[in-house]
Amino acid sequence: MEKAMATFHKGTLCSAWNYSSTRLATASSDGTLVIFDSPHPSSSSTSFTPTSNFKAHEVAITKIVWVPPEYGDSVACICSDGTSSLWEEVVEDAQPLQWKLCKLFKSNSSQILDLQFGNSSSGLKMIAAFSDGYIKVYELMDPLNLKNWQLQAEFQNVIDSISTVRKSSCSSASISWNPHRGEQQSSFVIAFSSNTPQLNSAKVWEFDQAHHRWLPVAELALTAEKGDEVYAVAWAQNIGRPYEVIAVATQRGIAIWHLGLSPDMDGRLSRERVALLSGHNGEVWEMEWDMGGMTLASTGKDGMVRLWQSNLNGVWHQHAAFEPTS
Amino acid sequence: MPGPASDSSPSGALVLSSWEAREVVYPIRHELKPPIARLSISWARGNSFRVSIFTQHPANHTSDSNDGEVGGQVLEVKIRNGDGEISAAEFRRIAYGSVSPFALLQSRKHMVSGLSKMSMGLPRFNPDGWEYLAEYSKDISSVIGNPKLIPSSAIEDPLEILKKVEEPTCLKAAWELMDVFYADKQSHWWLNERLVDWLAEYDSVLSTTQSTIHSKLVDFQKELNNLQVVEDNPRYWDVILSALAVGWQEIVVKMLRLHGSYQLDQLSRRETENGLVEAVAFLISEMPRMRPELDSGKFGQCFKTKPDFTKAWEKWRSKITKLDGSGFWVHCTHVQTRKGLQNMLRIILGDVESLSGATCNWMELYISQLLYVRPFSMGLESMYNLAEKCMQLKPASNTDRLMALIIGILGESPEIVLAECSRGFGPWMATHAMELLIEENDEAETLLHEERHDLGGVSIEELHRLVYAQVLCSHAFTWQIAPIYLTSCAKQGIGFLETLLYSQAVQHNGVLLKNLEICRLYELDSLSSNIMKIAGVYHWKHGRKGCGVFWLKQARDEVRLNKIAQQLFDSVGKSISDESFKQWEGLIELLGSESKNTGGLEFLHKYRDFKKSLHQVHQKGKTTGAAQSAVDSLIALMKNPSTPQRFWLPILNDSLKLIDWHGGPLLNTEQTNLLLNKLQELSMAKLRPDFVESDLPPLALSSIRLALAKNLGRAFLEGC
Repeated sequence: MEKAMATFHKGTLCSAWNYSSTRLATASSDGTLVIFDSPHPSSSSTSFTPTSNFKAHEVAITKIVWVPPEYGDSVACICSDGTSSLWEEVVEDAQPLQWKLCKLFKSNSSQILDLQFGNSSSGLKMIAAFSDGYIKVYELMDPLNLKNWQLQAEFQNVIDSISTVRKSSCSSASISWNPHRGEQQSSFVIAFSSNTPQLNSAKVWEFDQAHHRWLPVAELALTAEKGDEVYAVAWAQNIGRPYEVIAVATQRGIAIWHLGLSPDMDGRLSRERVALLSGHNGEVWEMEWDMGGMTLASTGKDGMVRLWQSNLNGVWHQHAAFEPTS
Repeated sequence: MPGPASDSSPSGALVLSSWEAREVVYPIRHELKPPIARLSISWARGNSFRVSIFTQHPANHTSDSNDGEVGGQVLEVKIRNGDGEISAAEFRRIAYGSVSPFALLQSRKHMVSGLSKMSMGLPRFNPDGWEYLAEYSKDISSVIGNPKLIPSSAIEDPLEILKKVEEPTCLKAAWELMDVFYADKQSHWWLNERLVDWLAEYDSVLSTTQSTIHSKLVDFQKELNNLQVVEDNPRYWDVILSALAVGWQEIVVKMLRLHGSYQLDQLSRRETENGLVEAVAFLISEMPRMRPELDSGKFGQCFKTKPDFTKAWEKWRSKITKLDGSGFWVHCTHVQTRKGLQNMLRIILGDVESLSGATCNWMELYISQLLYVRPFSMGLESMYNLAEKCMQLKPASNTDRLMALIIGILGESPEIVLAECSRGFGPWMATHAMELLIEENDEAETLLHEERHDLGGVSIEELHRLVYAQVLCSHAFTWQIAPIYLTSCAKQGIGFLETLLYSQAVQHNGVLLKNLEICRLYELDSLSSNIMKIAGVYHWKHGRKGCGVFWLKQARDEVRLNKIAQQLFDSVGKSISDESFKQWEGLIELLGSESKNTGGLEFLHKYRDFKKSLHQVHQKGKTTGAAQSAVDSLIALMKNPSTPQRFWLPILNDSLKLIDWHGGPLLNTEQTNLLLNKLQELSMAKLRPDFVESDLPPLALSSIRLALAKNLGRAFLEGC
């Protein structure tokens, strides 16, 4: 059932596969970035070997995110010191193919907790979540040049835009773009784990083209649970459903939300929690939807990989659980 | 295909069951030393995912002290389909083989539905529907494989009671069962006999947990060579009764002929006994069968009509009764033989208790009753009642998947049948068996075609096809056939297909072209240009600029092409090596000039001509002819309104040598005046805030000015 694909160096902290699952990037506590490729690329399940290995930072890299393929082979690293960098594999000025630093993102007052790229019709956008509860949206100015970014918007993860939360401290954040490709409006869901209740709950933000601003269109939390710290969010691929499906993990479990497609009078989207799945009994590390948006995979502090599905009656349940054993 | 422990595959239940999944934990075996610090998960294509496992490392760890030590591992986990009975390669063969029957059936259905719409809503105008379906079922069945006889020696071994065949698969058995009930409607009048045939072929795979008559025969076959007097052995009679119960008459007759009374030295002493054995063997081989024909080597008389059969049946049974009551039995001194033969008569007379004793499970008992007790086909409801009675007589602790399937079929519940197909035999079976279920069955059609909100607006039929397509996607050899199934999914198929195609790696030309071909086939234009865009950027960034421009042009990506043109502008007015000039020139050529938005390209083309002729002037030395054509290019460039102002000065600077030509003025008065005017315009523009200062030396302007003045003067003198 399982097949080893590659082994990592000591100190490796995180890994990420590219869009086609044919390249793997890993990063370590000493700031080294390693790219793995398969010697036989046509077959996806052969073993992978390191093809690039370079020091990207002096500090630990805690997360890697691939940039959408329309912008080349490029990864963003989030570091333990709260900075973030963008690296690109490129041939430049008659030099051989190599990974080059394109951009360094840092803020003096706060740290980057998570970032994600969204590929909209108007270009590439990057959402970064900061430790002070702020969300920054950057836009790429030139689609062939990853060095040039512009800050498009900056706001806090609160529904009521009048109240600004000061002096909050967030320990983690999770962002997930609406994976839809094409002309549709940009939207994403973001949630925090912080000491400020109103920042925490998962909120769906949509770009309002007419007024050129980001608006919160839904809050994915029951009234009594709005202050819950959120571990992870994951927006499911929608290949034709009349509603969106988003998973939100808190200490209560993994909540599956249905989100309506058309807004009401106030510009809000209808939402309904259709399931609350318990299993990990604690922190959920990661969640990811499969390509059809039907099965959710999650990993958590219980050391398990769990798969979740809805049955024919729309009842969500654990479909399978996997435990790594040596 | 690899998969978790054999009887509890997670994909068996998949999305498609109405049951809750069992709490089974599957191990993922890795080679790391605990403790594990973190897990990371990522879906690959289809239903496989990858888990990165990171080990915990001590806090005082330094990067160079532990070189070579492993800090983690990434593993691919494939969620298995089916039960592992069929190997991965065999599954791929079946998957490929079933594409064309499936596609053919879809296109025929499509045609028929078109025709029935034309025939103004006449109910089910589908004259050839059954034939299509029967053909489809046969095609699929042959794809799954036919059990082949293993060639044996020419001389028949009298002790070989079981013919050696390749073990049939459970999948094949299930498909044949579906065929009997749903596809081959023309054979329904002899359904009972078809089930007898079915059991004869597939009894060996009927159960994994209980013994079967087949397994009894196999065991006895092993013993047979060591038995001296078979008729003394109770197992001999036991096996004969079992084989007789399920209608394997040729085996029974063959076994009876092993009876000791046939031996030459026994003739005088055991003739009555032998006569009885032969009488029973004869009766068995004369059994009337309600079926069109029998394969050669099989015993029985075939009848196609009920009255003929009934007549023969009554006559046959009266012979049995007569034999049963005859006085010869008294003279049969061999007790085992007498009892054994009389038990055989009881079986063929349809004594339920005897049948029950001779069979191993309810399914065998059921089929034995169809043969001897209720030989006429009956409605499914009474068939189901009979099955229930058999299950009560021979209860099983757990249900094997073939038996579960037949219960579903007899229970006339398409939902259970489909669930059993999916649970027991995987997504391939569910997808292909649905076609059989749905034909002329309103209940099944409603069940399968109704769109369900809980399933995201798709029908159960579509859901099964999506799940099967996902299985196909997980392998590099089978993803190419997923589109056939996806395009038969009205709601989500295309969305799924787009996701699948988008996630193919573009860097391999073969995959890229295949991908684009599929896009073209299904008219996915916007996805196609997106894929070409990805390919273009990939090649551009990886140093294959020409290839990059080619794909970006194919993608009509004006934005990126414009940016590339802008980059080419950067070389204007700079001295570049021959090599880079060639590359630069090639790119301009590739970019072409037909594109609307890349307005700057016209300038680039003219500038390229100018640079080329200037090159020739430098290379060929000081020939005035070459210089003259360079001047023509220069003037064409400067006259053209598309030439950006910021390049005027660099171009003029490049042309200094021409303007100040040693062999006399190359520009006439008018041309010189044009250039002087441009220079004038430039000095005015300098005052404007948006003026772009070129990075030429400060004296460049004045030296151009001086050269132009000199040229003008000389042009005057030459009276041009």
